[in-house]
Amino acid sequence: MLRFYVLAFFVLLSLNGVASPRYSDPDGCLSCHAYQGLDYIDAEGVLRSATIDRSHYASSLHGSVPCKDCHRNTVDYPHKVENTEVDCSESCHIEEPSEGVKYSHDVIHDEMDKSVHAGGWYKGLTGGNRLEEIATEQDPSCRRCHSNTLYIAETQLANFKEAFDHAETECGNCHQGKAWMGQFGGHILRRLIGRRWNNQENNQMCIDCHGDVDKMRDVEQEDPDTLAKHPPSDRFIHSAASYAKTLHGRLIADGSEYGASCIDCHAPAGWKHEIRSYLDPLSASHIEQLPETCGQSNCHTYSKKAINSGFTETDMHDLSLLGLTAFTNPFVDDDLQQSPWFWSSWPLLLIGVVFMIGSLIWWLFFRTTKKILPVVGGDRFERVMIGRKPKAARKKAAVKKTLKPPVATEVKTQLAENGTDEKGA
Amino acid sequence: MQVIDKVKAIPKVQKFRYIMIFLASASLLGPLAFLPQLVGSDDLCGTLCMRRFYLYFPGMTWDDFFVHVNAAAVGVMAFGIILLTTLIFGRMWCGYLCPVGGLAELSSRMLNDRWKIEFRSLPQVQIRYGYFGFFLVAMPALGISACSLCNFITIPRLIEAMSGEYRGMVFLVSSVGLVNLGLLLLLGVFASKGRAYCQFMCPIGAADGLVNRIGANLPFAHRIRIAKERCTGCNVCARNCMCGAIKMVDKIAVVDQVSCMSCHECVDVCDWNALAWTTPPRHKINEPKRIKKNTEILPVPDWQAVHFHGGGAVTQEGGATKGPAVSWMSVFNAMILLTVVSIVIVGSFL
Repeated sequence: MLRFYVLAFFVLLSLNGVASPRYSDPDGCLSCHAYQGLDYIDAEGVLRSATIDRSHYASSLHGSVPCKDCHRNTVDYPHKVENTEVDCSESCHIEEPSEGVKYSHDVIHDEMDKSVHAGGWYKGLTGGNRLEEIATEQDPSCRRCHSNTLYIAETQLANFKEAFDHAETECGNCHQGKAWMGQFGGHILRRLIGRRWNNQENNQMCIDCHGDVDKMRDVEQEDPDTLAKHPPSDRFIHSAASYAKTLHGRLIADGSEYGASCIDCHAPAGWKHEIRSYLDPLSASHIEQLPETCGQSNCHTYSKKAINSGFTETDMHDLSLLGLTAFTNPFVDDDLQQSPWFWSSWPLLLIGVVFMIGSLIWWLFFRTTKKILPVVGGDRFERVMIGRKPKAARKKAAVKKTLKPPVATEVKTQLAENGTDEKGA
Repeated sequence: MQVIDKVKAIPKVQKFRYIMIFLASASLLGPLAFLPQLVGSDDLCGTLCMRRFYLYFPGMTWDDFFVHVNAAAVGVMAFGIILLTTLIFGRMWCGYLCPVGGLAELSSRMLNDRWKIEFRSLPQVQIRYGYFGFFLVAMPALGISACSLCNFITIPRLIEAMSGEYRGMVFLVSSVGLVNLGLLLLLGVFASKGRAYCQFMCPIGAADGLVNRIGANLPFAHRIRIAKERCTGCNVCARNCMCGAIKMVDKIAVVDQVSCMSCHECVDVCDWNALAWTTPPRHKINEPKRIKKNTEILPVPDWQAVHFHGGGAVTQEGGATKGPAVSWMSVFNAMILLTVVSIVIVGSFL
């Protein structure tokens, strides 16, 4: 009974003082959850906060959705943690004004069902304890990727406020009544001014899981034809690292708006959730679909031409760029291997040995050589570029020179000294 | 010390050139990578790539081309500046700045000549533009990524490997990395003068060479030029030319302007002042032939002629205030140089 009074007091307090029409809370959840310091320690031993900042929630995508529309199992108070799970595929209270149909995530549910991520925890589209999910589950739930964060960046908040103030006059000309503005005004504005994730953030979402090599080793892959389970390939395990080596990955890492993100190639169509195995003929990354995928919108449109078939076969997860499969552990000492200087010493050592041996041979045998010709191509250079005779002919000429009788040269010098000869006279 | 004497004997321009290559390498490659880091990249890939945007894919439209250009905007700008300076001053980027060819050249010069391979006598133009065409059209269509044979990846990664970066090591033991390393060693370090890769395989060098040749006869274009009547046919320049651009034809040196990098070494080694880095001559040369450097043919007179203008009596002081004659072409060229330099400086901060 005491509990009831306390609750009622808080409900009254919130209704009187703080609540504004924008932050509607018909289910009264915020009467407790608005409290600062509403913390508890969960089964994993993690301190978790159950405090909900009402302005924070209201400015999120689901800000205008009352709590119990999603947390349907929560009936009695105080509720249990298990009863708070959310089913994202349920239809919402929001009606499309044009069609009068209740909004639902069913389309995305269907897409997810076809994707490689269908299975495990996601079944029924629930989102539970995220830490537990990260530790134990291989497939992501909705909440793993859609964390319901602020859709309006802090830098754009001023813009949003200004536009929101004008919405009454501009949208309100046709959409009269506060109900519409309350339900859709903010939502539509958020879509107009609020920001979608850019390619970097999209990739980061995928890399959060797929970049974790140890985690990826434990994944069980499924053959699309036989449905047989098998351990993952090296290509799959190191997919994030090999993608980072491509021009696509580099451009996005540089902050460029060009460069294809993971989703751009793996789920280009529809609602971006239908990621299939590349062996599946319906997959966007299947070899027969690649010309279409690479040629989408204003990317490589020429890839649809048959003559460019080689282009689409360019490996976007080229393991040879990593060379990781060639890395076995030759030493037991882990610390030694972790030092980058250990690895970098090998090429330096190789180059050093070549230089040392070269210098030694040079010093031993060719110290006194005056004219140095390269062993390979040296003769051809003399012939073509300098215009000398070939080596054999040069040797012959040298031999002739040495065999010349000394008498002839004496006569010549005499002639030169005299300046005249018999004919001239 | 013999080594110090050898270093002292290096011609002035060559010392300058080596220092420039060293500085360019320090600012463009790791671990400093000063210039790449300005655009948020730590090597010469991504938005900095100068080598991929002009590939031709059959059926490509202009829109595709502009997408490629925009994707690597900084690299395209750098490429444009390189071609512009080449048109006016000769291949300055290749000879004085390029860290990729420059490092290979410097390391090759430290090795002894006996163990090097002489590539300079091969038919350069044919091989280079044959490969260039293959690089532009056939390789993209066949699906060989332009990046797989890119020396602009290999050198930065090699530096990374030396500095202990895991990424560089891993690249060098991969198949692509090994092929590139082999090309670098064979066509770079163990090639005579170390510029064989530039001569035969570098696509930027190929485009640059074309511009060099096209602009060679423009009145403001500086190139290495030969005064034929002064050439004695001693072939020192041909032996020292690192690009194999000088060939002895009928015992007179001839410069191939497609391959010449204007590195100035031939000018430094010529004893007869037969070569110079100048604009094309606009008058018939009427100078005594074959004057050896530092040789006085005629005694320099110890008197000075005083010129009087007709009409008024002009004093000697009046004549002196006129100052030296101004070469307006040099002023023009200096202005172009300063403009280009300022574009580079401003552009790198944008």
